[in-house]
Amino acid sequence: MLRFIVGKVAMGALTVFVTTILVTLLIHLVPGDPVQIMYAQSQGSTPEQIEAVRRNLGLDQPIYIQYFQYIERLSQGDLGHTIRGGQPVLDVILQRLPNTLLLAVAAMIVAIVIGLPLGFLAAYHRNTYIDTALMGIAIAGISIPHFWLGLLLLFFFAVQLGWLPVSGSGLANLVLPAFTLGLSNAAIFARLTRSSMIDVLEQDFVQTALAKGLPRTLVLRRHVLRVGMIPLITMMGLQFAFMMGGAIVVENIFSWNGVGRMAVEAIFQRDYPIIQGFILTFAVVVVFVSIALDALYAVMDPRIRRGS
Amino acid sequence: MKPNSRNWARKVVSTAVVLCSMSTISAHADDIVWARYGDIDSLDPHKATSTLSLQVWSLVYDTLLATDASGSPQPHIAKSWETSDDGTQYTLALEEGVMCHDGTPLDANDVKYTIDRALSEDSPSLTKSSWGPISAAEVVDPLTIKLSLETPFVALVPFLADSFSSIICDSNESVESFGTDAAIGSGPWKLVSWTKGDRIVLAKNPEYKNFGKLANNPGAPHEDGLIIAVVPEPQSRLAALKTGEVHIAEPPFDDVPMLKDSGELDIVVAENTGQNVFWEFATSRLPFSDKRARLAVGHATDAALAINLIYGDLSLPEACPVSRGVFGNDQSFCEQYRPGYDPEKAIALLAEMGYGPENPLETSMLVWTGGNRQKLAEVFQAQLAEVNIKASIEIMDIGSLNARVRQENENTEGKASMDMMTWSWYDPDILYALWHSPGAYRGYTSPALDEMLEQTRVLTDPDARKAMVQEVFKYLLENGVHIPLYTPGWEWVFAVRPEVEGFKVAPFVYPIFSDIKLGG
Amino acid sequence: MKTAANSMATTYPKQPMLLRRLLGTPTGVIGLAIVSLLIGGAVFADFLAPYDPTKMAVGPRFLKPGAEHLLGTDEFGRDMYSRILYGARLTLLVGATSVLISLTVGMSIGLVAAYRGGWLESVLMRSTDVLFSFTETLIALSCVAVLGPSLKNAIIAVGIAGIPFYARTCYSASLVERSKPYFEATMAAGAGHARLIVRHLLPNVLPTMIVVATLGVSTAILAAAGLSFLGLGAQPPLPEWGYMLSGARDYFNRAPWLMTIPGLAIALTVLGFNLLGDAFRTALDPTERHR
Repeated sequence: MLRFIVGKVAMGALTVFVTTILVTLLIHLVPGDPVQIMYAQSQGSTPEQIEAVRRNLGLDQPIYIQYFQYIERLSQGDLGHTIRGGQPVLDVILQRLPNTLLLAVAAMIVAIVIGLPLGFLAAYHRNTYIDTALMGIAIAGISIPHFWLGLLLLFFFAVQLGWLPVSGSGLANLVLPAFTLGLSNAAIFARLTRSSMIDVLEQDFVQTALAKGLPRTLVLRRHVLRVGMIPLITMMGLQFAFMMGGAIVVENIFSWNGVGRMAVEAIFQRDYPIIQGFILTFAVVVVFVSIALDALYAVMDPRIRRGS
Repeated sequence: MKPNSRNWARKVVSTAVVLCSMSTISAHADDIVWARYGDIDSLDPHKATSTLSLQVWSLVYDTLLATDASGSPQPHIAKSWETSDDGTQYTLALEEGVMCHDGTPLDANDVKYTIDRALSEDSPSLTKSSWGPISAAEVVDPLTIKLSLETPFVALVPFLADSFSSIICDSNESVESFGTDAAIGSGPWKLVSWTKGDRIVLAKNPEYKNFGKLANNPGAPHEDGLIIAVVPEPQSRLAALKTGEVHIAEPPFDDVPMLKDSGELDIVVAENTGQNVFWEFATSRLPFSDKRARLAVGHATDAALAINLIYGDLSLPEACPVSRGVFGNDQSFCEQYRPGYDPEKAIALLAEMGYGPENPLETSMLVWTGGNRQKLAEVFQAQLAEVNIKASIEIMDIGSLNARVRQENENTEGKASMDMMTWSWYDPDILYALWHSPGAYRGYTSPALDEMLEQTRVLTDPDARKAMVQEVFKYLLENGVHIPLYTPGWEWVFAVRPEVEGFKVAPFVYPIFSDIKLGG
Repeated sequence: MKTAANSMATTYPKQPMLLRRLLGTPTGVIGLAIVSLLIGGAVFADFLAPYDPTKMAVGPRFLKPGAEHLLGTDEFGRDMYSRILYGARLTLLVGATSVLISLTVGMSIGLVAAYRGGWLESVLMRSTDVLFSFTETLIALSCVAVLGPSLKNAIIAVGIAGIPFYARTCYSASLVERSKPYFEATMAAGAGHARLIVRHLLPNVLPTMIVVATLGVSTAILAAAGLSFLGLGAQPPLPEWGYMLSGARDYFNRAPWLMTIPGLAIALTVLGFNLLGDAFRTALDPTERHR
């Protein structure tokens, strides 16, 4: 088990390492002169000033030196300053990150609460009309773009009916974005749960248990659910990453003050330090969550727990 | 479901209801809530240029001078100012008893601190050059400050009334998070907190004294607090206005006639905004180095039709390179020289250059994102297509737009490029910044234009200056350098809930909240 | 699917069989119908569309759907029906091109990694794993941040974002194939690398990749429409559905159909490809039908 987790942590560390390299390169891939773009706001900036900025950012150094400088600053918690307004990037991100995490977790809960039972139900009644109907709904659910669903929900519940507030980051504001993001993912969960559960239902030990005459609910709960859940946990890690990605669009629709909305604004403003910080933060969060879920997986799956 | 689990469910539901009702969105009853599409960049007046930022600075800080309703400078913290005969020395006398939010008095040292900071070598203000050729700020006595200039600079006076020149109390020096989490000014509202991307919370400054600002209120604001919230989606802002979650906000333009008819919300349209939206071109290469191509664009665009389609009667076509309310503006004067809507003429000009239906002039059209400008651009795009100009729209943030325009001007090769530029300024001195060599965007320049622009800076006699400013207008219009389209152009329409009394907007789109009483 | 891959090697040329199987399921029929309709609309847009999709004032502004303008008109008096038709063309172009990018690059990586093994395999697959954990949205967003917003860049961004997924899928499918006795025998017989990959590995992983790509078209369309919705993709006056949807928000009170129609169009298209992909999977993999 230890080896399994160490492996996952190493993979996570590699991911973060690669991200830091990509983030350093990002600014060099931009067409045109990034410093010009970044400091265009300044009234009549002189070539000398631009040169000074370039020096300050270390952009006159060879790339590998820039990378080490970046890592050095990073180790001190310095993600640079925003172009617009010169705010510390770390502050700007940390003020918003909890909101995005809250949204992703809430959406995850919505997805699980709706998706798991439906998937289980479909698996239990596999190849019946119930199954077909449920999976039909699921595939339709996957097909609805969440930006459209979000707009419809926003206009109906917040704008037309005026039931929910449209600004701020209170719990009431969370309802619509969490549902928007959760519903599309509930459909994915339902499908994953269904196939995972069918795998288990068809396995010999379940058939044997049933043949032995053990009560059906007991078998379902003890064996099928528990074993079927294990692959789902790994998928949840992936789904969480998808939620973080989906949050980018959803936050923009609902004015939810998370890092996704911040990132899109930053792209429009070409505020590269924010974009760099965002990519790095995203990668770290995704890696962290997936390691945590893998650890949970290791604890739950006896095969890994016993180290075989 | 077992009975006890039903209880459990009920508990969860009731907890959720309680949590929802105590969530942060609801403000105190005495707080004014103003929603805008975006956030400020910084609380430091030397670190940003956006209207969104300026509007907040005008609430937290004071300026030496203020403007009256027509936009001309008035005394404020500086009760009077004197200019030396040669126009290179300004002596300002300050009012007594102005207090900074931290309880220290605001005096000439704070003014000097602000100016020195703005002009500092290592981190100057983004709008350093607007301060003009100031060589020294000298504290004569605590209530007198003397500014020495290298050359005369008549635009200094209106600049001192604009929030770019906000007076920063020198006690900020020791505050590390100045601009981020702290801002000590002497304005009518004190900073309580700024949650980036979400809201700015202000509290009234009970010590406030108003000398020259447009508010009727001579002292502290009537209401206790002001919350400036970020709500990017226009329909969401409208919904929040309707439910009372927000008191003042920019409505979706298309819903304004409906709102006016129903009387549900009041519509306040800012006047004398100084905002000018105009065409300009990359003149470093063909086709726009040729005057005919530029004039053709002018003749092809029907600004009146376009803005009517997108903004209804909320905006007006503008004929002058500086807008209504700014020194020198005169519609009938400018109309004589601005290339008017005349598609036939545009086609003929382009045909002379060899462009036609088979061989259209291909250009990029750069546009600032937001405020429905992308829709306006679509209309212009269709109008240009009528005269054989094929324009591809590129939408970007204002910062990127500025950078891109400059890049385009520096490139001597490549696809043609034109842009719908937006500037708001309180004085025609903006034309100096834009068009005097080398030019803010390194765009069109000429020795003749330089000569005239230099004159507009030093002519101290208003009539003589006005004549020269209008000469500049004529030059810019006739040569198709700066083709004005419309005014105002951004953040100038406010929908206000009926219980809000006393909301007004000062020139150059500075909303005033000191007079507001929340009735009903 | 793993056991089926081998049998595919023999049934692969029998196309009519596949089509019959595809039409044997209701999902296949519906999916195929939607996708054919979409392709038909896109191909024949020039004949089907009554108006130029970018021409303004072909009708009054904000006209409700009706006889004169089937789907109404937008804020500029443009014909929505024509815009949706040409939009279908863009949508298919976006879906097909970006999937083609992901597919060719992804498959090359997967095939080479599985075939060569050794350090190259480790490097390629570890990099793929790293990129995979970034998720497609983040990769696409980063690409747009670098390239700047335009439809072309959105296609490239979505294409790049899909690479890790296709590489992984192709890699595991190829591994299965490579471990089979017949493959090792062919290798031992001294067949060239290129021949082995192209003649033996590729045809056997192709069916799996077709399924994945069909489903991938829907993901790509959604992702690109999402970018355009945020203003980071198609620029005006392109009748791109995501962009149209985004621009219609302002007119929700006045003309709700401007928001409903493009959204519905995206949803139906994505549904079509999802159903078709599902049906492909079932048709290609007999064991799948029992699940």
